[in-house]
Amino acid sequence: MVHRSWLKAAAAVAGSIGLVLGMAGVAGAAAAHHKAAKGKPIIIGAVIDETSTMKPFDQPAIEAAEIWAKKVNAAGGVLGRPIEFKVFNDQLQPSLTRSDALKAIAQGASILWTTCDVTFATPAIQVGLAHHMLVVSPCTGTNEMGPSRFGAPGKLAFSFGNAPTSDGAVLARLLMQKGWKSATVVTDKLLTYFVDVCQNFTTDYQKMGGKIVTQLSYTTGDHTVTQVAQKAASTGAAATVLCTTTTPTLPAFVTSVRTLGNKKPIVGPWAIDGGFWEPKSATISNNIWWATYASVFGDDPNPQIRSLYKKMKSLGEAPQTGGFVTGPTALEGIITAIKRAHGTLKGPKLAAQMVKFHDVPTLSGPVSFSAKFHAVVGRPYRIIEVKNGKPHFVEMLSPGKYAGGA
Amino acid sequence: MNVVGYLVNAISLGALYALIAVSVGLVFGVLRQINLAQGEVITFGAYSLWLMRSLPTWLAIVLCFAVCIAGSLLLQVAVFRPLRGASALTTLVATFGVSYGLEALWLIIFGPSGNTVSMLTNLNNTVVGGAVALRWVTLVEIGVAAVLLGGLLLLLFRTSLGMRMRAVAEDLRAARLVGVRIGQVVTWAFVLSGASAAVVAVLATVQTPLVTPTFGLNLIIFALVGVVLGGLDHLGRATAGGFIIGFVNSLLGSILPEQELVFVTSLTFLFVVVVLVVRPAGLLAPRSADVERV
Repeated sequence: MVHRSWLKAAAAVAGSIGLVLGMAGVAGAAAAHHKAAKGKPIIIGAVIDETSTMKPFDQPAIEAAEIWAKKVNAAGGVLGRPIEFKVFNDQLQPSLTRSDALKAIAQGASILWTTCDVTFATPAIQVGLAHHMLVVSPCTGTNEMGPSRFGAPGKLAFSFGNAPTSDGAVLARLLMQKGWKSATVVTDKLLTYFVDVCQNFTTDYQKMGGKIVTQLSYTTGDHTVTQVAQKAASTGAAATVLCTTTTPTLPAFVTSVRTLGNKKPIVGPWAIDGGFWEPKSATISNNIWWATYASVFGDDPNPQIRSLYKKMKSLGEAPQTGGFVTGPTALEGIITAIKRAHGTLKGPKLAAQMVKFHDVPTLSGPVSFSAKFHAVVGRPYRIIEVKNGKPHFVEMLSPGKYAGGA
Repeated sequence: MNVVGYLVNAISLGALYALIAVSVGLVFGVLRQINLAQGEVITFGAYSLWLMRSLPTWLAIVLCFAVCIAGSLLLQVAVFRPLRGASALTTLVATFGVSYGLEALWLIIFGPSGNTVSMLTNLNNTVVGGAVALRWVTLVEIGVAAVLLGGLLLLLFRTSLGMRMRAVAEDLRAARLVGVRIGQVVTWAFVLSGASAAVVAVLATVQTPLVTPTFGLNLIIFALVGVVLGGLDHLGRATAGGFIIGFVNSLLGSILPEQELVFVTSLTFLFVVVVLVVRPAGLLAPRSADVERV
């Protein structure tokens, strides 16, 4: 009997707790429902590469942006309207890029989002500009996403990637700050971006008092990287600045330079971010530096970025480079422009707000645009160093006064 | 770096391209058909080295040979055998399609970023430092190529299989009439071609450890140009053509002034164009073999 009454009492207590919790849950859900965005969705048509060479840049950016959009929507959306992405995989095929952009518009997109290479993105950009839409790229690393390439219609196009003037300036500052006062500059002429970064670095570095010992170049695919590395290894410069990306020539260059006995710093822009390309030898993958948007090595100074990285990793979408933060950054930029334009989605009105951005706070840091620069100028970088085969965050560094070109 | 260093490096790159040229030339010799997908066999081998990175190096290399030979035989069975009797152009287009398809497959399976192979990295250490600046890998490439090409010569001129291969290359119908089992000879050509691709995969990943979907394609394009330069219809000349293209490219990369390095590929191809205008059948082909230009 005692046992049964104890059971009854326990059941009554459990029932009461359940009822209270249930009511709280209903109330909470009602509150959340009340807070979540309910208006007509703001559709962003993302025409990006999820298959080919831009995938490592495009996919993490869009996945991070989608996670960010969920947070925004849960908190009430943009002036009550939820953000919705419609993603199209253009595989970098020009005809598909164009038709996907048209499809996105047909499915209600008001804003276009493109791949992080302006040349590959051009068919989509042209469609967007012809429809007077705001066109953004999260991480294009040139200032060509705008009037400099597309003329007056290009006023509607922006990139939330850094301008090469900024990339060059931050590398110059890094070298001077570390006391590396002479440099060998090696340019991979595969892309204009690499040439621009190295040219900007050279100009800024010399203005800061640095000495360029020699300028070398190769083109990925011309099979001369080993010879160029051999020349670079023996110049006697305090550091080697290498403007290239993570093609097979990068580890080949690093391996050659190191095995020829040159242990001095090798420094590069965001394009060599990631560490996945490094030769496994700790003696070869040592004293390598780059400037990037965020650290993907678990030590970024911004807890929001660390948290976003963890979230993406838990979803099996761990980004390989710090460029993933440009996704949420571009989304924050779009949202700011919409809010400042009082909710309109008209391209010219949004672009008119965006071009006035001055140190707009975003996940990746302050974002500024101008009539001259439709790519970000002056945002601080994360400096990463590879030490004994392990990349790690070193410090934040701003590109300084030469960020907009010397 | 001095002249000795330039020359040794040039010979080394030439040797690597000679090995690729052999792998193309062997199949062309017996079938009179170009295998544009040979680059993908090299890529397959390079990826296999990455996949087997946790195994002992010797075992990974042995398995790389197995993978490349299997890949080469698969090409024979899936592409060349069904197209037996088709024109050379048909096979050329078919193997181009296979190459394109396989490149997409690597992209889907391994992604575009690349995977780093870290085997035999000690071969990157210098043998001689200073101005000469020679690395072990360059000497190993020259040595391996010399041994393999010498071995191939012995096989072709001192063995029954070699005699049958030469007979098929000379006149397929006549060889069949005198009892040569053509299918067997062709299979051996693909086996040797696959083995040669494996050697290239191992040596190339030592110097260029990041394997991407276009790893083999980047190598085969230059080598094919070399094969045409030397003379497509003769294994020795095709191999020499492969060597010459690698040698010239490397030498230009070493001796051109820094600001002119961007013209290395253009000058290499200009050299090829001039040679083919003067000697349309190939640099090393006898004058009597020159083809009509119109």
